[in-house]
Amino acid sequence: MDLRPADRDELAGMLRAATAEGRVLDIRGSGLHARRGHPFTADDVLHATGLTRVVDYVPEDMTITVEGGVTVGEVLRLAGERGQGWPQAPSQPAATVGGVLAAAAGGRRRLRFGPIRDSLLEVVVATGDGRIVKGGGRTVKSVTGYDLPRLLTGSLGTLGVIVQATLRLWPLPMAERWFTTRGDADEMLDLAQGVLADLHRPTAVVAGPTSLHVCLTGVPDDVVAPAGMVDAFEPGGPGAGTVGSPAGTVEASVPPAALPALARQLVADGFDYEAWMGTGICRARVSAPEDVQAVRGMATAHHGHAQVIDGDDAMRTDPFGPLPAGADIMQRIRASFDPAGILCPGRFAAADPVPA
Amino acid sequence: MTTTAGALADQLRHLLGPDRLLEGDLARNLYSHDGSIVGGDCGIVALPETTDEVAACMRMAHEAGVDVVPRGSGTGLTGGAVPLEGGLVISLARMRAMGEVDVANSCMWVQPGVLNLDVSTAIAHLGLHYAPDPSSQQACSIGGNVGTNAGGPHCLAYGVTVQHVLGVEMVRPDGQVVVLGGVAPDPPGYDLRGVVVGAEGTVGVVTRVLLRLTPLPPDVRTMLLDFLSVSDASAVVQAVIAAGVIPAALEMMDRNMAMAVEEFVHAGLPTDAAALLLVEVDGTPAEVETATAVVEHVAREHGVRTVRVAQDEEERALLWKARKTAFGAVARVKPSYYLHDCVVPRTRLVEIMEAIGEITEREGVMCLNVFHAGDGNLHPIIALDRSDPDETARAMSAGDQIVRACVAMGGTLSGEHGIGVEKRDYMPLVFDHDDLEAQACVRRAFDPDGRMNPDKVLPTGTRCGEVGLADTQVPEGTWI
Ligand SMILES: Cc1cc2nc3c(=O)[nH]c(=O)nc-3n(C[C@H](O)[C@H](O)[C@H](O)COP(=O)(O)OP(=O)(O)OC[C@H]3O[C@@H](n4cnc5c(N)ncnc54)[C@H](O)[C@@H]3O)c2cc1C
Ligand SMILES: Cc1cc2nc3c(=O)[nH]c(=O)nc-3n(C[C@H](O)[C@H](O)[C@H](O)COP(=O)(O)OP(=O)(O)OC[C@H]3O[C@@H](n4cnc5c(N)ncnc54)[C@H](O)[C@@H]3O)c2cc1C
Repeated sequence: MDLRPADRDELAGMLRAATAEGRVLDIRGSGLHARRGHPFTADDVLHATGLTRVVDYVPEDMTITVEGGVTVGEVLRLAGERGQGWPQAPSQPAATVGGVLAAAAGGRRRLRFGPIRDSLLEVVVATGDGRIVKGGGRTVKSVTGYDLPRLLTGSLGTLGVIVQATLRLWPLPMAERWFTTRGDADEMLDLAQGVLADLHRPTAVVAGPTSLHVCLTGVPDDVVAPAGMVDAFEPGGPGAGTVGSPAGTVEASVPPAALPALARQLVADGFDYEAWMGTGICRARVSAPEDVQAVRGMATAHHGHAQVIDGDDAMRTDPFGPLPAGADIMQRIRASFDPAGILCPGRFAAADPVPA
Repeated sequence: MTTTAGALADQLRHLLGPDRLLEGDLARNLYSHDGSIVGGDCGIVALPETTDEVAACMRMAHEAGVDVVPRGSGTGLTGGAVPLEGGLVISLARMRAMGEVDVANSCMWVQPGVLNLDVSTAIAHLGLHYAPDPSSQQACSIGGNVGTNAGGPHCLAYGVTVQHVLGVEMVRPDGQVVVLGGVAPDPPGYDLRGVVVGAEGTVGVVTRVLLRLTPLPPDVRTMLLDFLSVSDASAVVQAVIAAGVIPAALEMMDRNMAMAVEEFVHAGLPTDAAALLLVEVDGTPAEVETATAVVEHVAREHGVRTVRVAQDEEERALLWKARKTAFGAVARVKPSYYLHDCVVPRTRLVEIMEAIGEITEREGVMCLNVFHAGDGNLHPIIALDRSDPDETARAMSAGDQIVRACVAMGGTLSGEHGIGVEKRDYMPLVFDHDDLEAQACVRRAFDPDGRMNPDKVLPTGTRCGEVGLADTQVPEGTWI
């Protein structure tokens, strides 16, 4: 069944009922990236897309409070009207704020603006048993209690449904441009290293097997093509790239300095990839379940890890790899937020209580 | 001392030797305080030097069922490191080793007792620094900074501690050691690292910290602006940011504070101005040029009297010294002080400054203001003589009203000092029962027995309630 709550009260009621009846729910935003985590079978799909209120936007404070079903595009549109932006957002305008936060799906500007979790100030979540819980605070700085916003970021719908989020916005830069060039992987990686070494805080340096994209942000004098690159005429940077392909995408994370070596290995083994130079993150396109283990093996050899962020069921038999440290802590947190285990159980199996 | 506590002391003495287990009255008195006016009751103090020793201490405390309070330098301003009812204080002050700088990945592991400023000093020759710079940075420890998620003037543009801590090694309440986070970003699972930072020592003892190091900016400019009204200065704070410039730092000082500081530092601060703004912009030369022009333009529009631009590194250091020694300068006015660090939305700065003025005047106490204006993070410092019970009561009352006024304006209880004991009982002003209970559950997930820094952060009586379902309610087929 499809559940489509129109507001938080209705949502809370549905969650209470699901908890009482033991009905397993899949939580969806726009569903752009529902193929995450371990596959599981749900009784109902709960769509958070009806929660579309813009609760509060105070441009002078550079904070916006929206419900979880509001899209990234809508936030950017509203903010843009006031000369502001959400630089940590991913480049999918149709994605929902709740989905982006739950998937910790930040965008390519991470090199300069940081991970998406840094932009979430306050979060309101509906727990598995239908409690409405708020954490954080709407001011740009706060250490008031435990950091629920960071806990919810990346929780993949397993701790609660994100009902509302207060985001920190930034002034739109005076200038921003993407630059590009083409060549073989080695050339691209060398050029990328040069850009990282020479420029103060580039916004994104995205290397692929045959191209390099660099985003620069700031005052016009600084936003000029690095040597050997030309204007890309693509405001959002490279197209959707490797993500969302019909096969699958693995996100490998390694120490940033190990990224060129990882990319070279990927190329040698014939993988397409998008390496976010300087951040340690690399998305590789995979086409078979063995590929997941192959990419993970490379990442692990560089003291990193790898997760499947998109792929059909066969590709997601082991989406996360080895258990993270503190799994028992995660299990207890999950059990307290979702006592009946109705929120996407199995998706992030490490946090599911171990059956006796 | 109870028998269990006595037996624990014996074990710890055996482990650490008599010099590193403090039991005397002098030590116990010292460790019953921090930088706040909270006084506690210290049991015994252990001074481990390695992660293994911390783990052993924690195992012993676990077996004895004794409470543990982690402590860094004790500069905290909310009683976070103050033991309230005996128990074991684990001081990390002797764990001061820094690992090798990983230049290629711009990071470094350090032990928690390392002082904040020592990090930046040690890596300056590599063109790097550790960005969070609390005013107490000469004295406070990295472990304490992690505990409180410390901020500092430069956190406006660079972000607070949690944004600069890539990973932590932590000894859990039962003595197990875990590493959360690391050089490779975003490990799978919930962001437990993010919860540990700012948990005020209630989830474990942090024994190593992986710091993100930031390149020194290619160019920097520091300006001192002075205004004849606090409202003008507050308006400039807002207008600069509205114009699209996020300075590296944007700090305000009122006249009372400027006078106290000037007497002490002799930085040439204009003591007849109502408010001073210390503004620093950094980045590429072009960015600095542009930002400076915006700041000056906005300031002139709001009636700035003078714009003093630091001419060299020496003058810049002097201006920063004036800012960073401000709390210390209060000692010239009164022996003690009491302050809150609530936050208001930037748009309410003018209003809250007026409200603070009215409250402190009504209570007849002297208030000095010096704060992180750019992010609305106030530090109204009420100077007092604690031997005067009447003045102390009025200071407390004024503090209470200030906190309530901030919250009423959409603000929050703490921007960077944390909740500790001081603001624990204000938590219901910003969180309801379900919110607090959820926080209690997160805490309990780390510390099931509730022995880590008890009675801090959450108001007494807040529990992780019976959120588990009764057996009869458990539906068939769920995996509870
Ligand atoms: C073409 C394409 C390109 C992409 N490129 C990128 C990219 O560059 N960077 C990147 O990071 N991602 C990328 N993605 C992924 C996508 O942007 C994110 O995964 C985002 O989360 C999708 O949002 P959504 O609303 O569609 O969420 P969904 O796909 O519906 O859900 C994503 C996850 O969040 C959970 N969830 C959804 N809504 C809520 C809620 N309100 N509360 C709690 N949990 C919720 C779901 O259970 C699920 O685990 C791309 C996707 C596509 C299709
Ligand atoms: C003059 C002055 C100026 C200040 N300016 C600022 C400022 O600008 N910004 C700011 O944020 N703060 C400021 N502070 C407050 C204080 O310095 C910070 O809160 C600092 O982070 C505390 O560090 P500490 O080492 O003294 O910690 P402590 O006071 O010893 O402890 C603070 C908290 O952290 C916990 N803790 C300490 N070490 C560990 C550990 N290893 N593992 C787990 N938990 C631990 C303690 O239990 C306690 O809850 C100032 C204080 C003073 C006196």
